[in-house]
Amino acid sequence: MSLYDKRRRKNSLAMALSLAATAFGLGWLVLILGVLLWEGLSGLSLRVFTEMTPPPGAAGGLLNPIIGSLIMTTLAVLIGTPVGMLAGTYMAEYGRHDRLANVVRFINDILLSAPSIVIGLFIYEIMVAPMGHFSGWAGAVALAVIVIPVVVRTTEDMLLLVPNSLREAATALGTPRSVVIFHISYRAARAGMVTGVLLAVARISGETAPLLFTALNNQFWTLNLNVPMPSLPVVIFQFALSPYKDWQQLAWTGALIITFSVLALSIIARILAAPRKSS
Amino acid sequence: MNIASMAAPAVKHAAVSAANLAEKISIRRLSFYYGESMALKDIGLPLYENKVTAFIGPSGCGKSTLLRVLNRMYDLYPNQRAEGEVTLDGMDILSRAVDPNLLRARVGMVFQKPTPFPMTIYENIAFGIRLYEKLSRSEMDVRVEQSLRRAALWEEVKDKLGASGLSLSGGQQQRLCIARTVAVKPEVILLDEPCSALDPISTAKIEELIDELKADYTIVIVTHNMQQAARVSDFTAFMYLGELIEFDSTRQMFTTPQDRRTQDYITGRFG
Repeated sequence: MSLYDKRRRKNSLAMALSLAATAFGLGWLVLILGVLLWEGLSGLSLRVFTEMTPPPGAAGGLLNPIIGSLIMTTLAVLIGTPVGMLAGTYMAEYGRHDRLANVVRFINDILLSAPSIVIGLFIYEIMVAPMGHFSGWAGAVALAVIVIPVVVRTTEDMLLLVPNSLREAATALGTPRSVVIFHISYRAARAGMVTGVLLAVARISGETAPLLFTALNNQFWTLNLNVPMPSLPVVIFQFALSPYKDWQQLAWTGALIITFSVLALSIIARILAAPRKSS
Repeated sequence: MNIASMAAPAVKHAAVSAANLAEKISIRRLSFYYGESMALKDIGLPLYENKVTAFIGPSGCGKSTLLRVLNRMYDLYPNQRAEGEVTLDGMDILSRAVDPNLLRARVGMVFQKPTPFPMTIYENIAFGIRLYEKLSRSEMDVRVEQSLRRAALWEEVKDKLGASGLSLSGGQQQRLCIARTVAVKPEVILLDEPCSALDPISTAKIEELIDELKADYTIVIVTHNMQQAARVSDFTAFMYLGELIEFDSTRQMFTTPQDRRTQDYITGRFG
């Protein structure tokens, strides 16, 4: 057998192994989505979006946790995005030559990978315990703490991708630093920065642990952030562990809704991040 | 050779002292450091008003560094510093009292690679103007057209001013950058190897443009291309290893260089 044939054989072997590994990994994902669709779709109806969570044995939907999740996620993004973007901007634009930026980056990376239950406990200590009760605010802040490092990271990464020559070119026109950042760097990095926020939304919309310690849950409709607030992940957690068939069905449907919302967000993020030829 | 004796910009340019030349920029005893390493050693030369001065020399000789001192571009990087004196119309631009942004509005710069901003062709031009002037929509339209005409780009883009600056070809992008620089009405234009990323036809267009622009502006061009220096410039400075070896009128420099190293470089023996 010639050397060339040997190499070809090795190549096909490596190729086959890679494909098998890919199929193995994707297989589970397809299986999860399949089961989710199978179990969740049967319970999906208009009622899910229009009625409150029911007591066991009664008919109902998921309106209050859906609204609760939307409110807390929105608030978390509103709190976390400005902080994250400003910190990311500092690191990529102003602090490039500062030691402080390296320290912030290191701490941010730790925060990025911190177990979310720790964040839940932390917010419990600083908000829930002093206030004496669980609340929607605490839930939103806990989620915001998860949003911040994600946004910091993507903002910094996206701004670092903006070529320095662009900044120099703007500076050479006599443009002050702040205008360069706001009108040139941000514009060039816009798609990536929006993607970062969407990814952060995707990340927090499935978080359960931090909400268990902060917003807890609520069987009833509420828009009041000062009382415990329901959320989809926590309701799924509670209903899925319950012995009641109709609750379990609602848990499946809730899981389906979350999964496909996140999937939709990821797809939107992809489309936004895709390089566009001339606008 | 002794470069230290350059209190007056008198490297070896006997022929230069000809009549009616005004010094727009004077560089005296200029040294430049990247951290600890010295990149420019005691440079001194004049840049004459409404003339094109070319900086030539092998890679790493400090031509671009010198150019970036003239609009204080090095200010962006904390470990770079300049010592000495550079005056623009008598004002010491290295002084802390000078606002670098106001300086840069007077001393424009075009870079090696075209750098259109990620916005429309129109906005690319209007961006710089808006920094220092408040114009009505119609005044702005006129200014944008003037600037694009000045850069010989108007005919090619007049029907697509709303298109992205990035949709233009490389040569067009570079002319857009020149138009953008001209639009803010600077007095000096610095060109840092403006043609090195362009094809010969685009290069010819830009060179033609430089020749037209010098009626209104003082132009400094860094180039690797000796023929280009010979074609477009009135004066040439030859630099080597951070030192100014020779400064003279381009004709003198390319016919009878005074220094052996200049001759070797021009004739292609090294570099």
